[in-house]
Amino acid sequence: MANEKPPRAGNRKQFVRTQVPSVERAAAVLILLLLAGIGLAIAFKGRHFNPDLYTVRTDSLSATAAAVEGKSGTLREAAPAPVVADPAPAAETAPDASATPAAAPAAAGGEGEGGAEGAAAPTPAPTGEPLEIALPGLKPMSPTEFYNSDNLYEKIDGRAPAYQGFNVVALRCRSFSVTAVAGSFVDVYEYRFDSPVDAFGMYALERDPKGGPLDFAPDGYSGEMGYFFRQGAVYVQVMASDQKPETLALTRAIAQNRAQVLPADDQGLAGRRRLPAEGMIAGSVGYVADNAQGQSTLKDVFQAKYQAGGAELPFFIMVTAPDDAAKAWQSFQDFCARFGKAEVLPDVNGGRIFRAQLFGKWKVVYQRAGEVGGVFDAADAGQARIFVEKYLRGGTK
Amino acid sequence: MSSLNQADLGPDSGEAVSRREFLLRLGLTSALIAGAGLAARKLWQPKHFVPGFEKETGLQLANYALEPSKVYPSLAIAHGTEHEKTIRAAMTALGGMGRFIQKGDVVVIKPNVAFDRPPALAATTHPDALRAVAKLVMEAGASKILVADNPINSPTGCFLKSGLTAVASEMNLDLMYPEASSFAPLQLQGEILKHWTFFNAPFKKATKVIGLAPCKDHNLCHASMTTKNWYGLLGGRRNQFHQHIHSIVSDFALMMKPTLVILDGMNVLMSNGPTGGRLSDVKPMNTIVAGTDMVSVDAYGYSHLLERDIAELTYLHKAHDRGLGNINWEQTLHKEVQA
Repeated sequence: MANEKPPRAGNRKQFVRTQVPSVERAAAVLILLLLAGIGLAIAFKGRHFNPDLYTVRTDSLSATAAAVEGKSGTLREAAPAPVVADPAPAAETAPDASATPAAAPAAAGGEGEGGAEGAAAPTPAPTGEPLEIALPGLKPMSPTEFYNSDNLYEKIDGRAPAYQGFNVVALRCRSFSVTAVAGSFVDVYEYRFDSPVDAFGMYALERDPKGGPLDFAPDGYSGEMGYFFRQGAVYVQVMASDQKPETLALTRAIAQNRAQVLPADDQGLAGRRRLPAEGMIAGSVGYVADNAQGQSTLKDVFQAKYQAGGAELPFFIMVTAPDDAAKAWQSFQDFCARFGKAEVLPDVNGGRIFRAQLFGKWKVVYQRAGEVGGVFDAADAGQARIFVEKYLRGGTK
Repeated sequence: MSSLNQADLGPDSGEAVSRREFLLRLGLTSALIAGAGLAARKLWQPKHFVPGFEKETGLQLANYALEPSKVYPSLAIAHGTEHEKTIRAAMTALGGMGRFIQKGDVVVIKPNVAFDRPPALAATTHPDALRAVAKLVMEAGASKILVADNPINSPTGCFLKSGLTAVASEMNLDLMYPEASSFAPLQLQGEILKHWTFFNAPFKKATKVIGLAPCKDHNLCHASMTTKNWYGLLGGRRNQFHQHIHSIVSDFALMMKPTLVILDGMNVLMSNGPTGGRLSDVKPMNTIVAGTDMVSVDAYGYSHLLERDIAELTYLHKAHDRGLGNINWEQTLHKEVQA
């Protein structure tokens, strides 16, 4: 009874193929042969390891490697820029932001230097205009160095993020030896920013409060060993190696040269230009990009401290469209009224004014056409009002 | 249906398998398993590796530190107006340079020459400090002094403008500039520093190591002193560590066990660091701090020379918490002297 079929449930019929076409059989055999072939190929490949298979393709990394190898020292030795003996100042121009970036990288050279064949060759380094200064007694010590925002750290390392915070675009710099004084030199740094306002912001951040004003650059000062100023979108630093008279004289001459050569551009700095010079405490000018005085409506504000009537008065100015200025003034007044006491004062020379006491300090704020400004955080309300009214009457230059 | 025979039904048919067929199937299965095992054994390559994915290995720096002393102080603070006199006073307070350097030693002095700035701006190790330390080391009988740093910027320019080239020439010191062959992979179990290219050439024959750092403000990590000074020994794109700067700086206390560190606080770069650029950024503090524990030395430097709150210097707390030094310098055996 062992050969008896077990009973099946229901009426399902079994599917049993009795005829398999020869084509199907051939295909099956082919598939099996293919699988066997693949297996054999894997086995063969596994036993014969190709070391090139996983080797890192250094040529594909040349772009990044070059940046390291191409730090300025390598660049200096590998691809010295021609030094012009007597360059004509007229030929000098500010560095072209589009041409300046990424100078160091591929000049670095490495394996692909000198136009090596194939894709592995690094791209030739773009450079900008060399920094040429034709002054008697001055001799270039080295070719001009160029950096962009990405490789700026190669020159100033941990200081670079501060400049990047103000949208630095490029740096070109060069050292010049003072021929009359052995061992003396002057370093010239020209940081180009995205805009004059950015350049001013970085300049203001680093400003020496004890620095003396410059007669050739309104946004500038001199220190004991150098000159620092903003010209257009460029923040210029001219630094002497020591305080020897010949070196300092040439340092000043270089600074004056740069102020003459670099194009002036005060776009976005109208507020800065309107800050009166009279009574301004040296080195107190600052720039606030957003949220000045805690007000979202106060943007691109310039401010400075003034000595007036025996009091120290912080004073700010924002220049904008008249409608925006009116809104900002009203908004500021509402804010002061909400958190302190505010009163509107009589208009002066087309300017409307409010005075407010907030957290124990006084504010006197005006709006005239597209300008909002005023004294803030003053201890003396009377002096604050006198200062603002005098400014509106044009009595403060 | 009548043509259907037993063999066509297959295993699902519920038909019993004969003894012969069972043994045949068992034999086939066993042969397949044995064949697979033999094939695997044949193909197995115990030393097989894929380049780039092998286990990373590298050099581990020697420990150049002396055994802690119960007699001599581990920290000395000297006040004075001249580098040489003040450094000499600090070293005398520590027990003399002879405590650290013996006759025939090959000594590496690691200055901070990160920038091509003149000495007056206090962004680099002052040439007078190098001269004074080298003089003391020579007096102690060292056979050779190597001066080495790997500035991000041009090494020749940095050494030249900082005035160290002149000192090296004057005192016959060996200046070691970084070259491609000067580097080797470093292996470390740091918080972030695990495996990195390292300026190793100066340390191949060194028997003693001295760190000689200026005390200065730093834009990213608040201060650059003796611990951060070792950053200058890393190669490659080391700026990528700036994202974790406190971790990497604290790792240097693990990476380097120097014989001695000296913090030059004669003129301190108080602001706009690490580059500076103005004399107004520099404040004369007329102090040299020397010691065997870089964490203690830096703790004094931060609180007394940069005049800041030590609570904010994260990397020093990290190093202290990892047992790599003592941030509480007052609790160490220390001595304060006037030059």
